[in-house]
Amino acid sequence: MTTVEKLKTILVEELHLEELTPGDIDENAPLFGEGLGLDSLDAVELVVIIQKHFGVEIKDLDEGKTAFQSVQALASYIEGRLKNG
Amino acid sequence: MAEAIPPMDETDARRDRKSWSARSIGSRWQHRFFYALIRLAGRRAAHVMVVFVALYYVLFCPSVRDRARPYLSRRFPGRNALLRLWDRFRITVEIGRVLVDRAALGILGPGQLTVRHSHREDLLERVREGRGAILLTAHAGCWQFAMESLRMLETPVSLLLHREEGDVDLHIFEHRGDAGAFRIIDPAGPLGGALEMLHVLKQGEVLCIMGDRAMGGDRSTVEVDFLGGRVRIPVTPYQLASATGAPVVVIFPYTSGPGNYSLQVAKVIRVPEDLGRAPEAYRPYAEAFIRELEGFVEGRPYQFFNFFDMWNQEPMR
Repeated sequence: MTTVEKLKTILVEELHLEELTPGDIDENAPLFGEGLGLDSLDAVELVVIIQKHFGVEIKDLDEGKTAFQSVQALASYIEGRLKNG
Repeated sequence: MAEAIPPMDETDARRDRKSWSARSIGSRWQHRFFYALIRLAGRRAAHVMVVFVALYYVLFCPSVRDRARPYLSRRFPGRNALLRLWDRFRITVEIGRVLVDRAALGILGPGQLTVRHSHREDLLERVREGRGAILLTAHAGCWQFAMESLRMLETPVSLLLHREEGDVDLHIFEHRGDAGAFRIIDPAGPLGGALEMLHVLKQGEVLCIMGDRAMGGDRSTVEVDFLGGRVRIPVTPYQLASATGAPVVVIFPYTSGPGNYSLQVAKVIRVPEDLGRAPEAYRPYAEAFIRELEGFVEGRPYQFFNFFDMWNQEPMR
């Protein structure tokens, strides 16, 4: 399973996006606002989820903002962090 | 404490919501006049002037006089017209004096006022836990004095604060040109400032949030009872606490005498980890906060300055 696929599954399960399946999520669509429709409450939850499932802590604010652009951007961020230890 | 009163007429409520603003009621020149008076004649002279200004506002400016109506009508239901006028005068004088003291602290420096802490060691201990601390307060007393006194924590303090465009009222640190003393996180910023707030707590620092004002949509709030009516308050502080393990320390700053302010540590709320994203999961903690606030306004009714009509509320965006 790729990081993008794993992320989509985790998002649906952990954020209880009951109306969606992982396959419905466009990896290039914005996570917040229009797109997946997440909000600021979800941003906090997302940081916790990423740490729990990938062991990656989003410490840097600017990096976090970039990572949260889309599922694809978040997957790239996670892979980059895992690669660099 | 307060009995339920019939809701306001819908038209009144809509009119009030539309006209409500967090901006200071005074114009730029009025603020400058008071700043000059403080410089030339001192804080006490400005306090005397506040009484006359409050009298003028209460007698001749219905729009100003009515700002406190939603709160006062809940806190003191069934008052006759004369007592209602008295309540509005009292609360206007109180807030005027707090604003003068705030400016005096910024203009004339420390030494003008004393701030006492109840449970100071408790507060220090919570911060020393190293998981960050959420200081949850309300529009009560002068929260800026609380912020000033938090220097004793020797830990960076961030404040969630939205500044309305055109607000001419200066904060203490702006009077001093000391804007770096606190980090301001704007809830109108990207993702409601959520990432910044999380970052602060993960660094083991202190985050100060107003627990009595909803910013954002319904999903970030829960409805609770307050003074006999239903109000929506934010769940963000409790969600952050759940995500980080930070304790929520409920504090209320208040005037305890002429030139004296006190910082009351009312309660420490512990939120279990991993409560998730559903606002309802945080209701017990929001209710614990609002009970403390109700106790505060029962004891100090003229020191609650949240003039937004919480009982006819569309959350601020």
